[in-house]
Amino acid sequence: MSTLNSARPRVPDEPKEPELPQPAGPKLSGRAKLGTKLTPYGLLVPALAVLAVVIGWPLINLIIMSFQKFGRAQVFGAPPEWIGFGNYAKVLSDSTFWEVLGRSLLFCLVCVVFTMLLGTLIAMMMVRLTKFFRLLLSVGLLLAWAMPALTATIVWGWIFDTDYGVINNVLVNVFGLDFQQHSWLINPVSFFFVAAIIVIWGAVPFVTFTVYAGLTQVPDEVLEAASLDGAGYVQRFRLIVFPYLKSIFVVITILQIIWDLRVFTQIYALQGIGGIKEQTSTLGVYIYQTSLGSGEYGIGGAIAVITVIILMAISLYYVRQSIKEEEL
Amino acid sequence: MKKKLGVLALVAASALALTSCASNGDPGSSGAPAADAKIRVWLVGTDTPKEAREYLTTTFEKENPGSKLIIEEQSWTGLVDKLNTNLSGSDSPDVVEVGNTQAAAFTSAGAFLDLTKEFDSLGGKDLLPGFVEAGSYDGKFYAAPLYSGARLVFFKKDALSAAGLTVPTTLADYVSNGKKLAADNAGKSGIWWPGQDWYNALPFIWENGGEVATFKDGKWSSAFSTANSLEGLKQVQDAMVNASRAPKDGKEDNPQVGFCDGTSLQLSAPSWVKWSILAPADSETPGCPDQEENLGVYALPGKDGGAASVMAGGSNIAVSNKSKNPELATKALKIILSDEFQTIYAKNGLVPAKLSLAKELGTDEVATATAEAAGKARLTPPSPKWADVEAAGLLQDFFVKIAQGGDVESLAKELDKKIDGVLNG
Repeated sequence: MSTLNSARPRVPDEPKEPELPQPAGPKLSGRAKLGTKLTPYGLLVPALAVLAVVIGWPLINLIIMSFQKFGRAQVFGAPPEWIGFGNYAKVLSDSTFWEVLGRSLLFCLVCVVFTMLLGTLIAMMMVRLTKFFRLLLSVGLLLAWAMPALTATIVWGWIFDTDYGVINNVLVNVFGLDFQQHSWLINPVSFFFVAAIIVIWGAVPFVTFTVYAGLTQVPDEVLEAASLDGAGYVQRFRLIVFPYLKSIFVVITILQIIWDLRVFTQIYALQGIGGIKEQTSTLGVYIYQTSLGSGEYGIGGAIAVITVIILMAISLYYVRQSIKEEEL
Repeated sequence: MKKKLGVLALVAASALALTSCASNGDPGSSGAPAADAKIRVWLVGTDTPKEAREYLTTTFEKENPGSKLIIEEQSWTGLVDKLNTNLSGSDSPDVVEVGNTQAAAFTSAGAFLDLTKEFDSLGGKDLLPGFVEAGSYDGKFYAAPLYSGARLVFFKKDALSAAGLTVPTTLADYVSNGKKLAADNAGKSGIWWPGQDWYNALPFIWENGGEVATFKDGKWSSAFSTANSLEGLKQVQDAMVNASRAPKDGKEDNPQVGFCDGTSLQLSAPSWVKWSILAPADSETPGCPDQEENLGVYALPGKDGGAASVMAGGSNIAVSNKSKNPELATKALKIILSDEFQTIYAKNGLVPAKLSLAKELGTDEVATATAEAAGKARLTPPSPKWADVEAAGLLQDFFVKIAQGGDVESLAKELDKKIDGVLNG
C-alpha cells in the first residue's frame, strides 16, 4: 500500500497537522502540550468506564468465581471456598468438555466459511443488479438481519417440524420422498445442519452489506485496466478486489468466528424443540447448562474463562496479522 | 454538529430512562412502608385457571388497599435456571411457584423465606403431606403446596370401540391396546408418546417394582438399570416404538393438537389437558369442543389392576427470601391457600392443596379418575440435587434414545452413572 501512496501525486492543499499555524504563539507551554497529549485519553474515559462496569466487572467476578467452589447455596449468600485450580482440573480432565469444544470449533468453521462465501457472492451480485432488485434484496437482507435470533429459531423450528413442518410436507407431497415424520433434529449431524442454516441465514446480511460497501470503493479504472489486460472474473477478484478489501475481510471473519464460536440462542432454543442435548451442546450452551442448569457456577466459570482465552487467542492472532500487513 | 446533538440526545434519554428506573425500584422510600407496595407473583404455565388469578388479584387488593398484586406468567421450560438468577437478584419476584420436584433445590439453598411459624395458619396438617415434605428442608417449612395434578389417559371412544377394545385394566393391556390401535389405524398414535416425556415412563418402573434412585448410607444410587426397572423400561420402549407415532425427540407440549387433528387416539397427560382439548376452536390455543362426547378418560391401570403409581405432578409456592415486602407476600400466600382459592383449582380438575377440599373435585369422569390416580401418586427422589438432574435434561435425552429403539440395558447403565454423579456431586 505504501508504494501506491508514494506514487500518488501530492495534493498541494491537503491539510497536514504539524504545519498548521499555531494561533497561541510560536511555542506551546509544557502544560498545554501535556493537555493536548492527554486529550485523546480523556475522551476515551467515558467509553472505558462503561466497558469496565458492563464487561470488566463481571469478567473479574467470573475469574474469581472460577477459582472457587461456587454452587447454588453461594448464590443465596453462603461464603464460597477457594479451591485454586480445582475447577480447571475438573473441566480439562472431563471428556465431555473436549467433545463440546471440538463440536463448537467444527460448527464455527462450517458456519464462518459458508457465511463468508455466501455473503461475498451476494454482495458481488448486488453490484451488478439493477436499482430495483438491489433495493428488494437489501430490504430482504435487512429483515433477516433485524429478526431476533430466538424468533428466527422458533420459526425455522416450525419449518423443520416433524409432524407439521413445511419441509417434510414438500419433500413428501411434491418430491415423493420418504420424509413422512422425519425428525430433523434427532441426529446430531442433521441437528447442526438445521442450526447452521439458522446461524448462516442470520449472519449473511451483515457480511453482504459490509462487503458491498467495500466493493463500491474499488476503483473502476483498475478493474477496467485489468480486464483489458485479459484478466477473467476469478483473476480480477483474486488479484484486485480481494487485496483492496483484505482488511474488511479480516475484520468480518474475526467477528464471525467470535459470534459463531459462542453461539447460544439458536442452539439452546433448538434443543428445546428436539434433539439430544448431550450430543448437540456447544460451548455457550454447555456453560449455561453447567452454571445455571446444574448450579455449578464455579465449574461453569472455569469453562467460560477457557472460552474467553480461546476467543482472545484467535482474535489476537488475526489482529496482529492485519496490523503487520498495514505496517508493511 | 448534528452528530453531536444526536449523541447528546441519546445520553439525555438514557439518563432519563435510568433515573425513572431508579425511582420505580424504590417504592417504600416515602411514608409508611409497603402501603403502596407492588407484589409480584410468578405462576408457571397455564395450569392456574383465569378465575383463580382474578380472585387472587381482587381479594388481595381489597384486603390491602393501595397495594397491587401482579401475576407474571412463567414457562416451565428453563424455570430452574430462571429462578436461580431471579431469586438471588435485587429484582426478585415476591411469591413464586415452583415444580414440586424442583422445590428442594431452592429450600436447601436458602432462597425461600422460612414459613415454619405460618405452617398452621396456612393449613397445617390439612396440607398435602407429600408436598409439605417436598417444601421442607432441615426441619423447617419453606414452600407450601399449591396444587397437584394427576396424569390421566385421555382417549377417543370411537377409536377404542372400533378396534373392539375396552378400557384396559392392567398396564400390559394398556400397552397392547395402544399397539393394536396403532396397527389398525396406520399413521396414527395408539398412545401418543413423544420421546422427551419421561413423566409418563416412571409409572412403568414403579409398577414393575423398580425405583428411580435409592438412598443408603448417605449416598444416592440411581436405579434405572436394576432388573425390575429394566422390565418397566422395556415396556416403555415397546409402547414408544410400536404404539406411538409422536416425534421421537418431541416434547409433551400441546397434546391437544394431535388429539384434535385425529392423529393421537390415546394420550397420557395432566388432568387439566381436558380443558385444552375442549377449548373453543377460535381461542389462542384452539381445541376441539366438538369432541366432548367422544372424549373418554381413565386412570392409568397398574400392573395387577387398580390404578398405577403415577408421578405426582404439581407445584409448591413460596415467598422469596429477597422479597422487599415479606409480610404482604405472606398475606398473598395465605389467599392462595385459602379454601376459596383452592376450591377453584378443584373445580377445574386439579387436586387442591388441602385434603379437606378433595370432595370439591366433583363427580365427573375426570374427577373420579383424578382421585383414583392421586391416591397412588409418587414423587421423584427427595434430593436437593434432583432438580439438577431435570435441568441437565438427562432423562429427556435417555428416553429420546429409548424411543429411537436403543439398547435399554446399556443406556440405563450409562444413565445411572450420570445421575449418580449429579446426586452425589
